[in-house]
Amino acid sequence: MAQAIIIKRFLDELGDMSRFSSRFFIEWFKPRYEIAEFFKQCYIIGYKSLPLIGLTGFIMGLVLTMQLRPSMVDYGVESQLPAIVGIAIVREIGPVITALIFAGKIGSSIGAELGSMKVTEQIDAMEVSGTNPYKYLVVSRVLATTFMLPVLAILSDGISLYGSYLGVNIKGETSSLLFWTQVTNSLEFYDVLPAFIKTYFFGFAVGMIGCYKGYNSSKGTEGVGHSANSAVVVSSVTIFILDLLAVQVTDLLGFN
Amino acid sequence: MAKEIINNIKLGVFVLASLFIIILLLYMIGRNRNLFGSNYILKATFENIQGLKAGNNVRFAGIDVGTVKKIEIKNDTLIEVIMIIDKKVKNIIRKNAIVSIGTDGLVGNKVVNIIAVKKEGEIAKSGDFLPTKRPIDTDDMIKILQKTNTDASVVAENLKYTTTQINQSNIVWSILRDTLLYKSLQKSIMNIHLITENANETVADIKKIITNVKNGKGTLGSIVSDTTIASNLNKAIDQIHSVGKTTDTLIHNINKISLEINSKIENGNNIIQSLLQDSMIPIRFNNSLKNIESASNGLNQNMEALKHNFLFRTYFKKIEKRKSTEDKNK
Repeated sequence: MAQAIIIKRFLDELGDMSRFSSRFFIEWFKPRYEIAEFFKQCYIIGYKSLPLIGLTGFIMGLVLTMQLRPSMVDYGVESQLPAIVGIAIVREIGPVITALIFAGKIGSSIGAELGSMKVTEQIDAMEVSGTNPYKYLVVSRVLATTFMLPVLAILSDGISLYGSYLGVNIKGETSSLLFWTQVTNSLEFYDVLPAFIKTYFFGFAVGMIGCYKGYNSSKGTEGVGHSANSAVVVSSVTIFILDLLAVQVTDLLGFN
Repeated sequence: MAKEIINNIKLGVFVLASLFIIILLLYMIGRNRNLFGSNYILKATFENIQGLKAGNNVRFAGIDVGTVKKIEIKNDTLIEVIMIIDKKVKNIIRKNAIVSIGTDGLVGNKVVNIIAVKKEGEIAKSGDFLPTKRPIDTDDMIKILQKTNTDASVVAENLKYTTTQINQSNIVWSILRDTLLYKSLQKSIMNIHLITENANETVADIKKIITNVKNGKGTLGSIVSDTTIASNLNKAIDQIHSVGKTTDTLIHNINKISLEINSKIENGNNIIQSLLQDSMIPIRFNNSLKNIESASNGLNQNMEALKHNFLFRTYFKKIEKRKSTEDKNK
């Protein structure tokens, strides 16, 4: 019985979330575009996240290189270190790590922000005053996350590869030209493009889940904390599910 | 409001930076795949392309000059490989350059190698077919290696057996440990050296002799080369034979005589016994002989005197004359 209730609640929330998301696609096209709000959110969501994403990306590149080196030396392919690190970062590590950090930072902040607005009935007040709260709050934020995460992911890739270059040069000696030649030689378009495209979905998922959790929070300040927390957890899980789907789809299309 | 503009500028820089990175990345990948820039197309046909794929590198003299664009199956034994080649080498690759499929490293990707031949030829144009060389099949190589391996293992086994035998043998070890052996060996070798030198000289001498013999010089040479000597030798041997026979009879006769003499001596014939046994007789005999000699000398002188005597001179002259006429007639 308890299980049936859990499943029922899960399906109820999933359906509610789908309805909430589909509303986004309808509202997105309707005029009175909140352009200023969109840019403001882009600044907050994208630009302000760069130091955090850059730091994690740099450390990931450096650490991955240093961790891979012993195995590569064992196999006698130390010279292929830039190639393998390049593939790992561009295909998987860059997008996913960036999306997870992004979910932790932005998902929680959106969830908490919208949750507190909901709890303090600001959203209701907005609706009363004639402003479309969904358009003003949700569409601008979701669009900002959707467009900012790919940008952040690319910058993170670049910073990671720089970290990897430093990592290669800790124990070895590789000129930057050779490093970049090896990295770009090992990469194909079908390594870069699916990884780039999937970050849009990651960004959309993070923004959407954060907004949904905040928009539907309840039970006072406790609900705000809960919605911020669940926004991070659900969006992180969704990122992994989307990653799995992305790899399946690219494999199906023959891009692997 | 001013703060908002600054924020938007920051945002613009941020987005542009990422755009720059992705465009750079895509461009560099594209440049490696020859998607940008001017290219031309070369073709080659193979029987077996051994896993070559579209996108594999094409190398001219080891330099990456292009990529494989497409692989088309023309029929069951003919596969056409279409390559995109950088225009930079358009005036370098000739129509008689040979195309082969190789491997980048031992386990790397397949690559198409274009190798120039040291002969004159036309410059290849876009769409030209280049001659190909049958690629080295790794399967064949591995088969041969397998055979080599088994052979090597047999050889190793034999070597192992030999070394154990050597290890177990005391003689070999004693020889190896003997410090004097080396000196004596050295000496022996020196001796051998001397001997061979002598032998050399001897051989040279023999050679000389043989050439002499061949040319009929020297005694041996004349013997060998003279054909009449054999018959002469035969005759001589025959004569020696007959001489031997006569000496035989002679000896027989002498034997007989001596036996007779002996028997006479034993029978007490006084004259002979006295002759043999009397010690004075040989001296006397000697004296008699001397006397006879002096007598004959005297007779000779008498005869010479007689020649010069007027009574007999004419007779002797006549004899001389007759003799001289006989010489003339001869």
